Amino acid sequence: MDGHVNDPNGPRIRIRHLDENSIDFVLSNTHLSVANSLRRTMIAEVPTMAIDLVEFHDNTSMLVDEYLAHRLGMVPLTSHTVDEFKLTRDCTCTDYCKECSVEFNLHVKCTEEGTRTVYSTELISSNKDVSPVSEGPDDKGIILLKLRKGQEINIHCIAKKGVAKEHAKWSPCAAVGFEYDPHNNLRHLDYWFEKSVKNEWPLSKNAEEEMENDPDAHFDFKAEPTTFYFNVETVGSLKPQSLVYMATRVLQEKLGGLQLALDEDQNPESNAMDDAEPWV
Amino acid sequence: MDVDQEKPSYIALLEVPEDKIEIVPGASADLTSMTFSIKEEDHTLGNALRWCIMQNPQVDFCGYSIPHPSEAKTHIRIQTTESTNAIDTMNKGLDDLKAACHMVRSKFHQRLTEGKYTRSEQ
Repeated sequence: MDGHVNDPNGPRIRIRHLDENSIDFVLSNTHLSVANSLRRTMIAEVPTMAIDLVEFHDNTSMLVDEYLAHRLGMVPLTSHTVDEFKLTRDCTCTDYCKECSVEFNLHVKCTEEGTRTVYSTELISSNKDVSPVSEGPDDKGIILLKLRKGQEINIHCIAKKGVAKEHAKWSPCAAVGFEYDPHNNLRHLDYWFEKSVKNEWPLSKNAEEEMENDPDAHFDFKAEPTTFYFNVETVGSLKPQSLVYMATRVLQEKLGGLQLALDEDQNPESNAMDDAEPWV
Repeated sequence: MDVDQEKPSYIALLEVPEDKIEIVPGASADLTSMTFSIKEEDHTLGNALRWCIMQNPQVDFCGYSIPHPSEAKTHIRIQTTESTNAIDTMNKGLDDLKAACHMVRSKFHQRLTEGKYTRSEQ
């Protein structure tokens, strides 16, 4: 590992496809554990904004308070400015404030005959950068609930920064496609078959990128997976390229924090924390 | 967060709790063998760090475990040769893994700006 920072043989990336909500890239020349850590961080440890507290002033709809609160929590909110927010538990305010949270209001009363469908885009945000994800001006968003004549909801929601480790609503990923060794050259998989593995198990699209080993050649038992095919699909709260970028940064911050803690442990008098960057 | 600009941000992790990492009693006298107990971490950090530390030729043994799934704690045990000690190899492993992450990020940024990929954004 010495000198591998400037090592031309370091990790390599090739982006295959970029979409509004997904990115398809190939990460190679790294170890499986690093690729997996990246995948796990993308799913569970990249912070986003999501509604965490709901105050009900009026709810005469068919959905119970907690059911509606759960639905509101799951609404994805645009989180490209999430880094500017503090975590509520680290904030110096009492309860919540502008620096650690975003407030939403929703007041709908159904006054006409027929069903009044309430959409996520009707939530009114106190911060224009953080609002329910919408694909365009025509997209009404997620259906929150439906009201009959006379029913009313009047709620005040507080969205906070968090990570999916605490609750899945904060996950920016819809799914992370992760594959390696499409031809099973490493024999990590032992396919079940009736008559023929080749006929019964279709090859994935990534099989075109790699060669299948000669079936008559000796099995290379020392070979390890080095090329990983990622297909990251986001929910809309973060752009896919931002997500991958932030995941690497979160991983680095974790390691940095650990080093700080280790230094503190070793040199309790040196006040290693004082050298750390202050709150910007 | 735009890939192109890194605005000042709150790096919450720089305020790590005091007991984030502890040395489990029973380390060898010459500090070449040691078990570190890390709070609030799991396989995401454990497996990657373990591999990184193993890349160091001065490390005889490195393994990680999660003593109980209900408790957010990861143990990493390092046993080194006499030429170094466990804490130095731990630091080196952390540095090397940070460097790997940095390389992935900068390569990713480079490829993103190069733009040699198909797109279907409207």
